[in-house]
Amino acid sequence: MDELKFRRQAYEDPRNQDPEFLEQMQATPEHQALVSELKRLDTKLSQALKIEVPEDLADKLILRQQLQQHHKQRRQTGFLVAMAASVAFIVGISFSLLRLGPVDLAEHALAHVYHEGVALQVDQNVNFSQVNAQLAAMKNLEHAKFIEQPGKVYYTSYCDFQGVKSLHLVLQAEKGKVTLFIVPIEKRMVLDNTFADGKYKGMGFETRDAYILLIGEDQADLSFVKDEIKNTFI
Amino acid sequence: MFANWRKKSVEPAVSSDMLSKQRRYNSLVKALHADIFRYAFWLCGEKQVAEDITQETFLRAWRALDSLQDDKAAKAWLITILRRENARRFERKQFDYADVEQESLEDHLASSTEEQTEQYLLRRQIAKLDIEYREPLLLQLIGGFSGDEIAELLELNRNTVMTRLFRARNQLKELLEKTAVRGQSNG
Repeated sequence: MDELKFRRQAYEDPRNQDPEFLEQMQATPEHQALVSELKRLDTKLSQALKIEVPEDLADKLILRQQLQQHHKQRRQTGFLVAMAASVAFIVGISFSLLRLGPVDLAEHALAHVYHEGVALQVDQNVNFSQVNAQLAAMKNLEHAKFIEQPGKVYYTSYCDFQGVKSLHLVLQAEKGKVTLFIVPIEKRMVLDNTFADGKYKGMGFETRDAYILLIGEDQADLSFVKDEIKNTFI
Repeated sequence: MFANWRKKSVEPAVSSDMLSKQRRYNSLVKALHADIFRYAFWLCGEKQVAEDITQETFLRAWRALDSLQDDKAAKAWLITILRRENARRFERKQFDYADVEQESLEDHLASSTEEQTEQYLLRRQIAKLDIEYREPLLLQLIGGFSGDEIAELLELNRNTVMTRLFRARNQLKELLEKTAVRGQSNG
């Protein structure tokens, strides 16, 4: 190792532990002096570089990180709440949309007859003008009315067909009583011409403004009432 | 109900993870914030800016803490982040960055001993050093990095780094000797 290389290495790093460098350093007192001088310089430099660090810097660094973390968590919580709200909203919307799906009138009509068994027992002896008054109060049926008494009417009441206000009548036919539903026409309704279960037989048809459903125990009675309605209901 | 569910089933796993990450971050801050701050100061020359850069550096470090595999490499990792952060500062605004601001060097001549006077002069000289020479020296003296490590950090080859270290010390030594001689002849 020549003189120049040694000096260069000393300046590059006075604490160089390379054996060759150390050997060269020991070789002459001048070399030793140079290296210790440079080491002294390094000590001074290191001291000089140690500028004062703000006392609270470490605390500030931790504080800022924790604030940011806190914000992030709040954002995440907000996101979760928003997601939950959206899901709830979608579920709510789907349910109301499902309700708007096709409604099978026949099935509902039969269920209604079983449910309101009392309708077949009472005798309110209703006048057709009273029925007309009820019809007038119904949405989309303001212009529908009976022009004369359709035989004896035992019972009249509003009822609900999947959210649609309808009229529930019980009429006297030739042999027994026939239940009559008048349901305003809506697109989502599905109406079968005839239907039946173990006990009752049913019949459905459309007038200009309404679906008419007839339910009774005897087929002939249904036809009888159907004719009666066709003659008296406009 | 929702809050309870969160507390009961999710938090234990997450929080122990978070807790160890937090501990790791805290010890990182404690062990290295002084070096990082000093490095930032000697890079930019202003205490306030140095503090800002240090804040940004540690925030980024927190976000990326999972990517730090080896804690021994933490210092080099932080310095890499810091240098990027410092460079970003120049992208945002073009500073006159050639010199460390003289005003911000705190020690005053008036009320100081001889040793402090020398330190003050030395700081002025370090600040005057060109950044290419200053930075390898900072890495060697503050960071304690070897020539190879400095070369890797600065993306230079080793010979360039060693030459710059040589010139940095050479310049400082000469300047000191000059002022010492002048001081003597004046005194």
